[in-house]
Amino acid sequence: MDYLLDGLVTALRLLAMGDAETFSAVWITLAASGMSIAACLAIGAPLGFLIGYHDFPGRKAVRIAVDTALCFPTVVIGLLVYLLLSRQGPMGELGLLFTIPGMAIGLTLLGVPIVMAMTALAVEQADARLRLTLLTLGADGRQMLTATLWETRYHLMLAGVAAFGRIVSEVGISMMVGGNIKWHTRTITTAIALETGKGDYALGIALGLVLLAMALLLNLMLAALRRRAGR
Amino acid sequence: MTGRDSGASPALPLDSADAPCARCAVPLYSLEGVVRRHGERAVLEVPRLDIAAGGITGVVGPNGGGKSTLLRLLALLDAPSQGVLRFAGEAVGPLSAARTAELRRSVTLLLQEPYLLRRSVYENVAFGLSVRGMRHAQDAVRGALELVALDPDVFQRRRWFELSGGEAQRVALAARLAFSPRVLLMDEPTASLDEDSAARIADAARAVAGRGTTVIVVSHDRDWLEPLAGRILKVRRGQVEG
Repeated sequence: MDYLLDGLVTALRLLAMGDAETFSAVWITLAASGMSIAACLAIGAPLGFLIGYHDFPGRKAVRIAVDTALCFPTVVIGLLVYLLLSRQGPMGELGLLFTIPGMAIGLTLLGVPIVMAMTALAVEQADARLRLTLLTLGADGRQMLTATLWETRYHLMLAGVAAFGRIVSEVGISMMVGGNIKWHTRTITTAIALETGKGDYALGIALGLVLLAMALLLNLMLAALRRRAGR
Repeated sequence: MTGRDSGASPALPLDSADAPCARCAVPLYSLEGVVRRHGERAVLEVPRLDIAAGGITGVVGPNGGGKSTLLRLLALLDAPSQGVLRFAGEAVGPLSAARTAELRRSVTLLLQEPYLLRRSVYENVAFGLSVRGMRHAQDAVRGALELVALDPDVFQRRRWFELSGGEAQRVALAARLAFSPRVLLMDEPTASLDEDSAARIADAARAVAGRGTTVIVVSHDRDWLEPLAGRILKVRRGQVEG
């Protein structure tokens, strides 16, 4: 048990001293996740609204496809994005492989189905009078979209937090698309995986603590937003 | 048919198309051989019905008789399954979705159980103006709140959950009056209100009808409706009389 205690003490020291390697991984994680979550919300929320609001042929099939994508293994997404971004791939010329934006693309593919599915559910479960109210107040299609998303904003935030939680804690995409390059694309999770393999538990525990702190912060933010939304 | 309040000069800005139609012989609504079906079942059949612009028209009848179906047709939310519904001389069924949506902007419906947007009273009342691109809403919001006897200084900053049922209904009505609709449809607006709130709704209906808006009200409360409406339509078993 001593190695666990030693690891924890060293981890706290690394965090307190502002260890560059630790905070590099934190920064890279936040950069990739931040880019990705912005893209997830921008893409996933309107698409989620469309499948939650409109009844169109093939809607059920789309819902099944989205729900299936929720369970997509991250290494498979990593492989797909790797093939897309590699030199011979269709997006090879962009030079995004082993970069933070490249990782963000993969993470977006992971997060979009989560935001889509949760937004669609929120729109489907929204008060039936909302749609009628917006229609009878004169809203057009675009205004229906923005007003409905605003009315379901708490659920959208939940979707964002859920997607962020999945994105920030995944390993496969970051490892394959980012390459786990120290100071450049090494994230919290890839660093934990690497350092644990090397037997350096302190850095792994320190980064694990940062992940837990992030989760706590997100939940506190969510509680504050929830109060503000009056729910 | 024109109610007692028609003919008064409008104080609120009206849809530009409203004035000529109010003067001409073309009814605001004209239904010919209209049938509305839910599945195979005809829930409303209207061989002929004209409703003139202006005034207050009441709609009465038992539950399940077809009142709400009629109201949804008049609100241009649904199209007839058969027959022709004309609004201001324009047949609604064959119109494009865009044109129907455009026409729908001059008609509004107050629901029996109103839904207020999860925003302040001010934002709720200003919503209809903002979707019409009207940026300076302060005066219109104040005017609409005053019409429903809510003090703007007291109410406009309140959030939706700080209102009683009667206040919420009046805010929902103010939200529809703010953009001066051509037609105001109300579905059982006093169903869950006390006498005072019901009287305020009646006052507001008279006031907007006096300014040129056509008001059509569905209500079970004949004591409330009869002194208010210049014409009463009876809807029962899917048939309209009156």
